[in-house]
Amino acid sequence: MARPKALLLGLIEHAHESWNALSSIAELVTPQARNRAEFIEECRSGRLNGVVAIYRTFDSLEITGRFDEELVKVLPASVKFVCHNGAGYDQVDVPVCSGRGIKVSNTPNAVNDCTADVNMFLILGALRRFNPPMNTLRNGKWRGNPLPPLGHDPEGKTLGIVGMGGIGKNLKKKAEAFSMKIIYHNRNKLSEDLAGGANYVGFEELLRTSDVISLNLPLNTHTRHKISTRELEMMKPGVVLVNTARGAIIDEAALVQALDSGHVASVGLDVYEEEPKVHPGLINNPNVILLPHMGTWTSETQKAMEECNILNVKTALETGALRNMVPEQVGL
Amino acid sequence: MGKPGALLIGNLTHTKKEWQAISDIAGLYEYADGSREDFLAKCRNGEFKNLHTLYRSNDSNKITGNFNEELLDALPKSLKYVCHNGAGYDNIDIPACTKRGISVSSTPIAVDDATADIAVFLMLGALRNVTQSFQAVRQGNWRGNFQLGHDPKKKVLGILGMGGIGSAVATRAKAFGMKVQYHNRRQLPAEKEDGAKYVSFEELLKTSDVLSLNLTLNASTRHIIGKPEFEKMKDGVIVINTGRGPLIDEAALVDALKSRKVWTAGLDVFEEEPNIHPGLLEDENTVLLPHIGTATFETQRDMELLVLDNLKSSINDGKLITQVPEQKRDTAAVRASL
Repeated sequence: MARPKALLLGLIEHAHESWNALSSIAELVTPQARNRAEFIEECRSGRLNGVVAIYRTFDSLEITGRFDEELVKVLPASVKFVCHNGAGYDQVDVPVCSGRGIKVSNTPNAVNDCTADVNMFLILGALRRFNPPMNTLRNGKWRGNPLPPLGHDPEGKTLGIVGMGGIGKNLKKKAEAFSMKIIYHNRNKLSEDLAGGANYVGFEELLRTSDVISLNLPLNTHTRHKISTRELEMMKPGVVLVNTARGAIIDEAALVQALDSGHVASVGLDVYEEEPKVHPGLINNPNVILLPHMGTWTSETQKAMEECNILNVKTALETGALRNMVPEQVGL
Repeated sequence: MGKPGALLIGNLTHTKKEWQAISDIAGLYEYADGSREDFLAKCRNGEFKNLHTLYRSNDSNKITGNFNEELLDALPKSLKYVCHNGAGYDNIDIPACTKRGISVSSTPIAVDDATADIAVFLMLGALRNVTQSFQAVRQGNWRGNFQLGHDPKKKVLGILGMGGIGSAVATRAKAFGMKVQYHNRRQLPAEKEDGAKYVSFEELLKTSDVLSLNLTLNASTRHIIGKPEFEKMKDGVIVINTGRGPLIDEAALVDALKSRKVWTAGLDVFEEEPNIHPGLLEDENTVLLPHIGTATFETQRDMELLVLDNLKSSINDGKLITQVPEQKRDTAAVRASL
């Protein structure tokens, strides 16, 4: 019987050895296609028949576009596993995959520390109002004239975590080192053990009572624009909002309005609704702190994520069971 | 004899009411703005009769200039207490004060959290090499010339000067999975170490992945980090300074950054503030802030309150709450010699 094929969509940058070692159990293939139309054609041509597991990266979106109904339908019949390198897998339509009996995995845990680090960095940067003086200094004006407004200490402030999963729990520990008080909202309350002393509250209570709000939930059809005009109005005047999850969870235009009115004092963002486009209202606001989606971009974490995803592929091919299968598919 | 005199040099932003309330126990003088010559003249003309205690700050230093022998001689002989707003007090000649029987207090503790917070921000920013990214996003270039950063997890943080601020940095660093080692003139007792490893200065330089300067500036610590020290450090070290600019030979740091011996630096202080070595500004591998380590509403208020508490204590109890350590030692030495 022919060896199964493993398809690489996107690049491996660090874990070359581990990927190449898979050749002992699978034929390693890459697409010839350079865009979505070509990829669909390549699937239809039969060139990728025999592919059992697909390793895809966030950036491979450029080649294939979203793994939506149109694309998943034309994948070879042999495909059983889509292994996504990344914690957020909103690029993959999971129900459609489930419908075809294709299991999907991601790389949670590997991303937790790194993303929480950027998250805490943005909380500090926004609370302390570091952006204006950082800019005046670079422009040769030291602190600027008039002096920039004072910032605020995190100590004693309430941090509301929306979606306290792996990353959120990791953030909680770091924020506590700055003496912040943690409250959280999840779809389901966590056990005392997992919550580690954080108070569970309803979504609206979190909005009303938090000094800092951090978004750490996945993007899906329920969470798109979860933060919009109505939610922003409920927040405390002077609130600080931080997003390292997915841009589309926030209605970016509504956020700009809330910033312009001063209701939201500052934001720290690593993600945007239409990356790499950033709303001009954010670019032109000196009081916000903006990063270009680099939550997991360290040598150590990128390597760990690749190793994790390669192991997901390997285990799936060897045992037929998929590690790190996405929560929606439990029971599939 | 009237109430003792209390002089406020400079401004209070958060505690004007609390200052006014001191009129219950002292005659209040204010010197909000002016110049050194004018201040010296007013002192010499007997403007501040019966002056017992005064409030000064790192900010008011630009009005009066340093509290050196010349200024101390001009102040009324009745002055016994200088209550300073600032954790750093290198602009006060402490031995000269001690000689004249003047006790000096500073504001330790109140500054610890805010300064440690900025040190961690600079450390995370330097580890993740953010300046290039900040600039790229704002210029519409998204990630620009992006380079991967590093995780703090499992890296060795070396703290030079683990006092109040250094300990606060250590607590935070541990939450990010860092291993902490430190060097002080003397090893701390175990409870104060909280698991941090004591090492020699040499070992600190040789084995730290991130070096954080949290020590006081004085004659013996000026340029404590210079060319020979950079040569001893690990290749690709990250250097963080929230202490005082002159702790580092800034030109030597620029050279070390150019050669990438120092991978990135995070600085809140500079040798000749507000002037910054152009080599630091040109380098995108630096995260720079204009000495705003304690610039928060909460901490500024706490610092002002602590100085006013020292002021009140100097009037009511004839002693200070947070007298500078150099003088506490001197007192002990004097007692021992009697």
